[in-house]
Amino acid sequence: MSDRFWRRAFRLETGPKRVERDVNQEIAFHLEMRTRKLVAAGFTPDAARAAALADFGDIPGIRNECLSIGRDRERAMKISDLWTNARQDVAYAVRSLRKQPAFTAVVLLILAIGIGANTATFALIDALMLRPLPVPHAEQLVTVGDPSQTGSMSSGTPSTDVVSYPAFADVRDHVTTLSGLYASAGTSSLDVRVAPSAPDPAVTHPRARYVSGNFFAVLQVHAAMGRTFGEAEDVAGGSPVVVISHAYWQRELDGEQSVIGRQISINGVMLIIVGVTPEGFTGDVIGASTDLWIPLLMQPQVTRYANWVDDRNVSWLLMMGRLKPGVTLAQARGEVSSLELHSILDHAAPDDRPIVEASVRETQIRIEPGARGFSYYRSTYARALVILMAAVVLVVLVVCANVANLMLARSAARSREISVRMALGAGRSRLVRQLLTECLVLGAAAGALGLLVATWAVRMLLRIASQGPTPIPLDAHIDGRMMAYTGAVSLITMAIFGVLPALRATRLDLATTLRGQGRALNALGSHTGGFGIGKWLVALQVALSTVLLIGTGMLVHSARQMATVNLGMDRDNLAVVSVEARKAGYSGPRLEALMRDLVARVERVPGVTAVTYSKNGLFSGSEGATGIRVPGYEIRVDSEKYVTFDAVGPGYFHAIGAQLLRGRDLSDADRRGAARVAVINETAARFYFGDTNPISRSFTRHDTAFTIVGVVRDVEEQDVRAAPVRRAYFTMSQLAGSDGSYVLEVRTTGNPSNSAKPIREAVLAVDRALTPEVDPVNSLIRQSTAQDWLVVQIVTFFGALALVLAALGLYGVMAYSTTRRTGEFGIRAALGAAPGAVTRMILREALTLTALGVAIGLPAGLAAARLTRGQLFDVQLVDPISLITAVVVLVATAAVASYLPARRAARVGPLEALRAE
Amino acid sequence: MADTLDVNLTRGTLDLLILKALSWGPRHGYGVVEWIESATDDALLVGEGTLYPALHRLERAGHVEAEWGLSENNRQAKFYRLSATGRRRLHSGSASWHQFVEAASRALRSAAPQEA
Repeated sequence: MSDRFWRRAFRLETGPKRVERDVNQEIAFHLEMRTRKLVAAGFTPDAARAAALADFGDIPGIRNECLSIGRDRERAMKISDLWTNARQDVAYAVRSLRKQPAFTAVVLLILAIGIGANTATFALIDALMLRPLPVPHAEQLVTVGDPSQTGSMSSGTPSTDVVSYPAFADVRDHVTTLSGLYASAGTSSLDVRVAPSAPDPAVTHPRARYVSGNFFAVLQVHAAMGRTFGEAEDVAGGSPVVVISHAYWQRELDGEQSVIGRQISINGVMLIIVGVTPEGFTGDVIGASTDLWIPLLMQPQVTRYANWVDDRNVSWLLMMGRLKPGVTLAQARGEVSSLELHSILDHAAPDDRPIVEASVRETQIRIEPGARGFSYYRSTYARALVILMAAVVLVVLVVCANVANLMLARSAARSREISVRMALGAGRSRLVRQLLTECLVLGAAAGALGLLVATWAVRMLLRIASQGPTPIPLDAHIDGRMMAYTGAVSLITMAIFGVLPALRATRLDLATTLRGQGRALNALGSHTGGFGIGKWLVALQVALSTVLLIGTGMLVHSARQMATVNLGMDRDNLAVVSVEARKAGYSGPRLEALMRDLVARVERVPGVTAVTYSKNGLFSGSEGATGIRVPGYEIRVDSEKYVTFDAVGPGYFHAIGAQLLRGRDLSDADRRGAARVAVINETAARFYFGDTNPISRSFTRHDTAFTIVGVVRDVEEQDVRAAPVRRAYFTMSQLAGSDGSYVLEVRTTGNPSNSAKPIREAVLAVDRALTPEVDPVNSLIRQSTAQDWLVVQIVTFFGALALVLAALGLYGVMAYSTTRRTGEFGIRAALGAAPGAVTRMILREALTLTALGVAIGLPAGLAAARLTRGQLFDVQLVDPISLITAVVVLVATAAVASYLPARRAARVGPLEALRAE
Repeated sequence: MADTLDVNLTRGTLDLLILKALSWGPRHGYGVVEWIESATDDALLVGEGTLYPALHRLERAGHVEAEWGLSENNRQAKFYRLSATGRRRLHSGSASWHQFVEAASRALRSAAPQEA
């Protein structure tokens, strides 16, 4: 180190030039010494020089060899120098950060929250929207149909969002642009017994999907154990086999090696486990990992009451194919949609054909890149996640501004140290590097902490998102990519908050700083110089907080509307009890008797005031539509004949608290054999009958006439956001094809949760196979709006966080400013300024900053509010309540944050100010 | 020298000689050449210049350290000094060199192989 060290210390020449000069000088010295010796021995100078050259040998060759060695050495030293410097910088940075534990802790905390929130949101977005299926060449996959319809089934006019089995088979057999096309569909809830021969076998309800035999072949997934499905599974009648996921095998079958060949019972049908999928493969549905795969053609055996396989009018399958090499998505789209459309039209009933054609004209058959699989949650949560990400980005910006401000204040406080070091000869680049290293160290530590925050936050987000009995089974974990993301975010954050203060700190006027921060009156004029950026940063924070607060206000307002909106029924003190009547084997008259029995039993439960039942239930996600003909109403468009309908029990509207506008409720007298009656809602009445009275008028459904006996106010039965639709209500006894599983609606005197146990017992007393579940309607509504709540809660949290950070920033800047201006205040006091005047001056300054921030933030917030439009319920885009609240909250916060520094400034006396000099 | 057998001075041997030359204290390159010439009666060094790449290689490897200083006649000269690793290298190197030479000499002096 010696030579180089001293050269460094005295700023001597280093580098390649020096190497060359050294070598030349060394050779010259050698030749000179040798010549001198030979002259001394009696040679003439010329002869001596010639001999010296000859003795030396090949001078250019040796010179070059020496040069290349020297350059090598130089390079190696430069690298080791850099390394040593970096190590020194890091050590110095750690030391100086540890000297100010409070500052370091605050910065780390703020940064870790910002980075953690960012990473957690990104993890969710990644899991739901970015990560491809873990199968080979996922980019070749294409989905056919609406990828969000992972559990849909519709009967009637064939649809193209999901398709029937015969339509799928037609496309699969004729397609040429795809190397394979499979179909899959969700199952209804299955009763699975993994140990069917046990005396009282445990029943579970795993997530299963029906898949065509080529499912695994198209996805190119091979069994980890046993085999997957093949052509044998596509033979009519199906084959009684099942493939299980690795996770299910571990969870329910204890990872037993002998599991292949074992029989499990699914809805009472024995299926043989033939294979286990590789670990990590969770099926083709993102956000709902599949446990079991059952051959599609087994559906009629597994769900005995319905055969969907042979029926062209039952649409229930999603399709996924793999593009042949060289085929573009557009080519496949063209071929597949024409094959599908022809298959449907060739077999459609004459009535259905125009409907299918119209719907395909309106919305093309959806054929999209399938690398990310199917997902129900993707479409429902995508918008929410985008809003979250936007909120997080705002928070990160606030964090950056805040930390930059802290660093700025700190480097200003260290200006003496920095000027001393510069006076001692430290290079500016070296000092900048050193300040940057400090940021890097902070950034790295914050990144590590941020990962911890993120891991925790992802779990929390998922828990908030999935309140209630159905958690979102999303695999949002922190992996290497997430760490890379966090690393990038930390680095960028670091760069933003680190570079500026570092550059400023080293651009000091050495003389002024060393003389003692300038005199007090000098500060009057110049304090704005090193400090203007700080103020701008605070204004920026206020602006960003304004945006967040406006968004928060609008979302909270919207959520309140949603929670209190009149749904047309009395939602409080109302519970629904699901009853699995179909699975328990009830149908026809037996089912009617069962429901009567259940109503009678549950009515006797203490605290229950009314009981009824309906097929679809309330906020269950299940609806049905039917075509009706109303004499006197001419249908112009086919869709005008459809009404949403439900089969209900006596006293339905009374029990759910709906308001009858005309006529009467359905009653026990409207039973099988009596005159067929129906109740329609306000929307249907207005649509079909206009201003005329619909009571006693009639309509036909499936050639059966029903007389309207009542008109009820519109009830939102499934979706708080949906616009009211035309509805018709029939009694179960008078409606053909009303078999199924029913839901009891139970009105109680108090909180329905308190009566849940006796109600369940009353149902079980009728039949233990009914497996009743009791849910208050309000909690079902809450679940149906879970993602709204998720967004509201998280955005509120972020809004509060941003507000606190902005307040901290404002406080910091004002406190720092007043400390620096102690002398000025002293002089003012000496000249007779009242303490109140100084306080007012500081407050005015803080409020000016806030006003500046708000002035920038308001238009930005109004623009950003558009982003939340899809999320809003009953709230205008320019929502005065939210705007005023945001401004008031900000101004109040600013006043509080600057009051302390202002008071302190007012108490400065002339003597104190002089002592501070 | 012309009629003597050309025994090439291997790089390893030259390195050892340089380290030995520096073992009494710092010398400049020319001093190392002079010492080797006088210590070996001009028997070994063919081109004096070949010494310098060897010296620089030793410097790069950290066996010697270089520093500019003033020569006996007040000229700027690059002085080389043995480092701690250089000294260790000299000791281990000369030990194995002696073993090698002894083995080689024994072989050269040996009588005709005995028939078994």
